[in-house]
Amino acid sequence: MHGRGGQGAVTASRIIATAAYEEGTYSQAIPMYGTERRGAPLTAFVRLDDVRVRERELVHTPDISIVLDPLIAKQQAVVDNLKPGGLVILNTAHKPEEVELGGDFKVATIDATTIALETLGRPITNTAILGAFAKITGLLKLESIEKAILKYFPGRLGEMNIAAVRRSYEEASDPIQAVVTKAPAEKVDIHVGGYGVLKDVSSWRLLTPEIDVDTCIGCKNCWIFCPETAIEWDEDTMKPSIRYNACKGCGLCANECPVDAIEMVRVEA
Amino acid sequence: MSERITRAQIPLSEMTITPGSACQGCGAALAARLAFKALGPNVIRHGIPCCPDSVTKTPRTGTVFEGGGALLTGTSRGLKAIGRDDVKAVAFYGDGGTYDIGFQGLSAAAERNEDVLVLTKDNEAYMNTGNQRSSATPKYSMTSTTPVGPKSRGKPRHKKNVPFIFAAHYVPYVATASVGFPEDLIAKVTYAKDLKGFRMIIIQAPCPVGWRYDPAKTIEVARSGVQTGLWPLYEIEDGQNFKLNYKPKELKPVSEYLSPQRRFRHMTEDETAEIQEDTTTKWDTLTRADELGRLII
Amino acid sequence: MVGNKAAATACKLARVQVASAFPITPQTTITQYLSEMYARGEWDFDFVNVEGELTSQVVVQGASRVGARTFTCTSGPGLLYMHHPMQVTGSGRLPVIMAVVHRGYKGMQPDHSDLMSQQWTGWGHQYVEHAQEILDSLLMAYKVAEDPRVRIPIAVGYDGYVLSYTAEPVEIPDQAVVDEWLPPNKPMPSILPDEVDPSTFGRGWGGGDPQMPWKTHHDAIMGMEDVQKEIMDSFEKTFGRRYGNGMIEEYRMDEADVAIIAMGTIAGTCKAAVDKMQADGKKVGLIKLRSYIPFPNKDFQEWAKKVDGFAVVDRSICPGKGGPVYMKLRDALYDQEEKTATLQFHAGLGGKEVRVHDFKMVGDKILKAAKGEKVEKITWV
Repeated sequence: MHGRGGQGAVTASRIIATAAYEEGTYSQAIPMYGTERRGAPLTAFVRLDDVRVRERELVHTPDISIVLDPLIAKQQAVVDNLKPGGLVILNTAHKPEEVELGGDFKVATIDATTIALETLGRPITNTAILGAFAKITGLLKLESIEKAILKYFPGRLGEMNIAAVRRSYEEASDPIQAVVTKAPAEKVDIHVGGYGVLKDVSSWRLLTPEIDVDTCIGCKNCWIFCPETAIEWDEDTMKPSIRYNACKGCGLCANECPVDAIEMVRVEA
Repeated sequence: MSERITRAQIPLSEMTITPGSACQGCGAALAARLAFKALGPNVIRHGIPCCPDSVTKTPRTGTVFEGGGALLTGTSRGLKAIGRDDVKAVAFYGDGGTYDIGFQGLSAAAERNEDVLVLTKDNEAYMNTGNQRSSATPKYSMTSTTPVGPKSRGKPRHKKNVPFIFAAHYVPYVATASVGFPEDLIAKVTYAKDLKGFRMIIIQAPCPVGWRYDPAKTIEVARSGVQTGLWPLYEIEDGQNFKLNYKPKELKPVSEYLSPQRRFRHMTEDETAEIQEDTTTKWDTLTRADELGRLII
Repeated sequence: MVGNKAAATACKLARVQVASAFPITPQTTITQYLSEMYARGEWDFDFVNVEGELTSQVVVQGASRVGARTFTCTSGPGLLYMHHPMQVTGSGRLPVIMAVVHRGYKGMQPDHSDLMSQQWTGWGHQYVEHAQEILDSLLMAYKVAEDPRVRIPIAVGYDGYVLSYTAEPVEIPDQAVVDEWLPPNKPMPSILPDEVDPSTFGRGWGGGDPQMPWKTHHDAIMGMEDVQKEIMDSFEKTFGRRYGNGMIEEYRMDEADVAIIAMGTIAGTCKAAVDKMQADGKKVGLIKLRSYIPFPNKDFQEWAKKVDGFAVVDRSICPGKGGPVYMKLRDALYDQEEKTATLQFHAGLGGKEVRVHDFKMVGDKILKAAKGEKVEKITWV
């Protein structure tokens, strides 16, 4: 299960494991070891079995890959280690036919971000993908997932998440065989643990800043306040430009712009 | 005391290598970026366990969590021994490494007046391990180890006044700074860099994850911390000479700082009023000290 | 000269650049000697009086990291307090030298439990017998630790009181000769801004096989054996003294049927006992163990072919496990074709005196065991 820190991939893996336990199946949910960073891509794993799960290692060749984030869903790495004939469930607004990941596997898609925004009011997509998971795989009953959700989110929050799961269950449709056969090139890291310099953090962004240079008054706020030096300053034109591979989409620049010359937009392309 | 600079005087060249692995909107990553702009390349950066902020184009060294003050001492003495005291020993530690587990060693280094510069990114809790309280956590703040419940109102006690404690070691320079005031921060680091002896700058570095606000609001939160008087910007030299760097005609109400942060969302009106009164009292003392130019404790 | 003065004198001879320590009995007088030497300006060095042992360990770590030659020292509880940063010094491959003035942690008197408890920190561990050996071993320790093949910190242990505060003659080598034999330390790799490799900037944690740093560290310590032997030869050539091959020092083993294995000051008492036993026609010799880490496996395997019994006198015990030297020796001998009798003796714990007649008893028992007679395997002396 691939997601970003704050999207709830680890919780989703635990909900699946708990739901399976409700149905009398043995299960195990393991997060990838390392430190979790808000916004940073990460991976969690679930094993389901009829007997107690003894192995305590990461899942290196999964049967199913679930991707909670639309930008991570574009990365070939999310299907690279799938077993032949496996299944990938992607959070994306695209149809399965439009998915550009290559290999021998089945693809299903669900627009979990929209579901989450409309049912929870926040882009936390972990539960919004579980309905689709239940329907497409047939591995778990919807009721078991709902029961498990209430264990993790009691009360009103649970009810909201259940609404997300139900809608995702209804909207999910059957997977199709992947149409692309050749694997596209790798772009960004899909798991970030620990410390150091990264190549490209585009996959961290939910919203992307866009600068209207005509409105810009050259105050340098966006430049001086960017924690990642993703805003470059041109001293000749006195205008900023964005280095998108370093932008995590925090929105600080847009917030600090005194003339609203920076807009945060939802870009999936 | 430091000299004011303008936005145009901030060096354009960057000392950080990005993107790094900090969270979105990380105040500490920005603190590192700004501070190392002022420091330049001729430093050895010292680290102890803390959040990842920004990777810098500097050599680095590190040790055990509690060893921060000692490692700085060793590097500084070692550099003198090999005839390279042109290189500065600079720490970039968190509040845990400064206020708590690293406190003893730093206090001892201050007492010995080691020739070192300590920069603390204060995000007011142990954020690297997931937001547990530290002695830098302000009163009423909810953390994962000071949750709110029938028997708890968040952290029961005030934040420790670490800048004053270090000033009481009669060291050459102690200052506070904020990522919301980059010119002030850079001016202070630039000034402190070339002083001799123990220098410390505590930089408030808001943490969207732990303080529970939208990452886009990091600067807003930092700025209102200063404008409400909860994070005053000042400098203390030789444990006595005092200067307040930001003096508005009137402070903004503390609720402007507290309410956007969900770590304070459980606070009652009475509790907010208590913080307001406490802040006003402390601010009065600071402004009087500023008029005198001398520290009053 | 007392043992602690010998240690401080070794610092001066080695031209230590940065020393740091926190006073603790029975190490205290080293800090005083160093402070006096600093005050008198006896040589160009820096002595950092710190607020605790943990800090002293980290101070020398920092100074060593930029290339200075460093020294620290402590005893018993102070050493336990240093445990955490000692691991960083070890895995940082910093050639720090530390004198450990043994103090057991159940009281003030010496046993070897302090240094023994630091086995996992990745240092070389040596145990020495007398004041001359302290001075000589510290000088050799710098040469071994700073050798590019090694780069491992070394702790030189000697017993508190009976050695630290006991006066005996010590021959002090000529400074010019030491300077030539022990050139200045060089840091590797440098972290000075103008010398550092910029490709190391931002190299994060993770990536690569996480076991590799452990393997290279272990291999480096195992490799110390040959370097220690080589440097012992070079030391003898220059200064005219030697202590066995550096790893072990044999005493009257030529005619011996059995060997007593002991470390530190009690090895000296054992030498006196061996003289008496051999005068009485008992063929008992001593193998003084100098280097516990790395352990002289090869030497003991060779000696096992020549003698019929080993009596190990351990001056420390891991409660619930036993004597560390005994365990390590049995481990070294496991693959020998012929079994050699071994006996375990617990002695000198908590500073209990170990006397000549105690060693005579040890000798008698191992002689019996070597002949195949039934003797209890473990004896509390």
